[in-house]
Amino acid sequence: MRSFEELLVSSASAHGHLCPGQVVGVRMAMLGCRLIDLDDPSRRDQIKKLIVYVEMDRCTADAVAHVTGVKLGRRSLKFMDYGIMAATFVNLETGEAYRVLSTEESRDLATLYAPDVGKKRQQQMEAYKRMPDSVLFRVQEVDLPINELDLPGPTRRKAACSQCGQVVRDGREMVLEGRILCKPCGEGAYFHHAREITWPDMNWAPGSKTRHAGDGGQEKACVLRNHLLLPREFGGPWQPVPEKHSQ
Amino acid sequence: MRLQDAVGTHLAHDITEIRPGEFKGPAFRQGHTVCEEDLCRLQRLGKNHLYTIDLEEDEIHENQAAVILARALAGDGIVWRDEPKEGKIGLFAGRNGLLKVDISALSAFNMVEEVMCATLHNHTLVRQGELVAATRAIPLVMKRAPIERAAAIARQNGCVLSVRSLGRARAGLLITGSEVYHGLIQDQFAPILTEKIHALGSQVAALDFAPDDAEFIAKVIQSQLARGCDLILLTGGMSVDPDDVTRHGIRLAGATELHYGSAVLPGAMFLVAYLGDVPILGVPACGLYHRVTALDLVLPRILAGEHVGRQDLAFLGHGGLCRDCPECTYPQCSFGKGI
Repeated sequence: MRSFEELLVSSASAHGHLCPGQVVGVRMAMLGCRLIDLDDPSRRDQIKKLIVYVEMDRCTADAVAHVTGVKLGRRSLKFMDYGIMAATFVNLETGEAYRVLSTEESRDLATLYAPDVGKKRQQQMEAYKRMPDSVLFRVQEVDLPINELDLPGPTRRKAACSQCGQVVRDGREMVLEGRILCKPCGEGAYFHHAREITWPDMNWAPGSKTRHAGDGGQEKACVLRNHLLLPREFGGPWQPVPEKHSQ
Repeated sequence: MRLQDAVGTHLAHDITEIRPGEFKGPAFRQGHTVCEEDLCRLQRLGKNHLYTIDLEEDEIHENQAAVILARALAGDGIVWRDEPKEGKIGLFAGRNGLLKVDISALSAFNMVEEVMCATLHNHTLVRQGELVAATRAIPLVMKRAPIERAAAIARQNGCVLSVRSLGRARAGLLITGSEVYHGLIQDQFAPILTEKIHALGSQVAALDFAPDDAEFIAKVIQSQLARGCDLILLTGGMSVDPDDVTRHGIRLAGATELHYGSAVLPGAMFLVAYLGDVPILGVPACGLYHRVTALDLVLPRILAGEHVGRQDLAFLGHGGLCRDCPECTYPQCSFGKGI
């Protein structure tokens, strides 16, 4: 693994800024990897052995992902939306899993570890570099059985929503009263009132000579009301035959 | 359980008796087997119920915890006994010297809820056998894990407490100032500094005088080094007059590091320099009129082998103001009790 200083510079650059969260995240990742005996997780022979669960969507999470090389799309990074400054490092080969938590008291100890640094933010960053892992973190050994459907690798299951026809992968479909449903249909989504639109400027493809239109805003609004295509529940007059989406 | 039912059981913890002005201490020790005759005394102490404890697999008693903590906190030159009194273990100086406290490690340790350790200030001069710190766990019974975590934190730089012995220096005294050199006024500094150096266990190996001449001063410094001095104290010429050339003399002698000024009153014009490994201290005139100045704060640290630099002189500021009490009680006061 590269040195702490090198990792910090590279992580801050990838994240967009250098902040105390980056220092904590880089160190959290270094400690996590040491705990599960992977000294260079982005190396070929180690990369498939690691899964990391982060419990917060903050600077620290980016640093942890950057240092370990785990990625959402490789299924090696899992996001658990707990709002807790912690990450769990799993060695898939040995089954060992360690949850590393950032301590709240480390913030209070900043003035003692970096009394020579004036500005609060700089002092915090410098202190986080100086205090040992035992003060910055607590570690728990945890049991973390991973469902086969969550492991890296090709898609192992596909199902189609019986209401809207959307294909759902990886066992993320719901079953409600015997019916298979996608999460938006089954329990509601993070968005509301989805209206299908047709946008004339969607003819661009890589390599095509068509330019993007400067302002498609007005035009998008016009075709919103293309009722012929919309099912009743979205304001249109028709019950459609569900379209089969294929990718 | 009720007191009457407690005969034959073992006490879970020390029971303290307080007679104001007379006695505060354990009336009964942990583990003591309660007998009929104890019941009366226990009642007088206000105990109508006694508690026994059933430790779970991952729990320990405060006495066990105190031992774990003491072992982790104590470093070189610190002694302690495995005899917790009311859950506390005292840590003592195992030798004469300078007490060193790792303040950030101590604070990180104390942030663990279940433990505490209170100490004397860092850099206190202590005598063998003196109590320098004490530690205990806070609850009577607790999980092992936080105690072990606290112990690990205490060990982050090896230990939290240690006592460093003072080395025996061969000090050179260099009294500068043309008026003294030419006999116009009598020097008062040499006897004062000699006494301070002897009190700290070192000896004066050379005593020289020099006028306000930087090159002359530089030559005498070199000569003292050649004669085997491993510590040099200069007086005079430390202030802001144009003929205060002492520090130029120190530079000319070849000082590789020089810090002029300390955050202490009296002693703001104090100087620390290094010629290779040899510390050179510039003592301002206040040392003639005040019992305790910046010199007294720094000299023991130098003798204990510490390298005193700019940061150390700056950090003396907090606690660096002498209150000039009518009756000086140093070191039993706030002077020099900074970081």
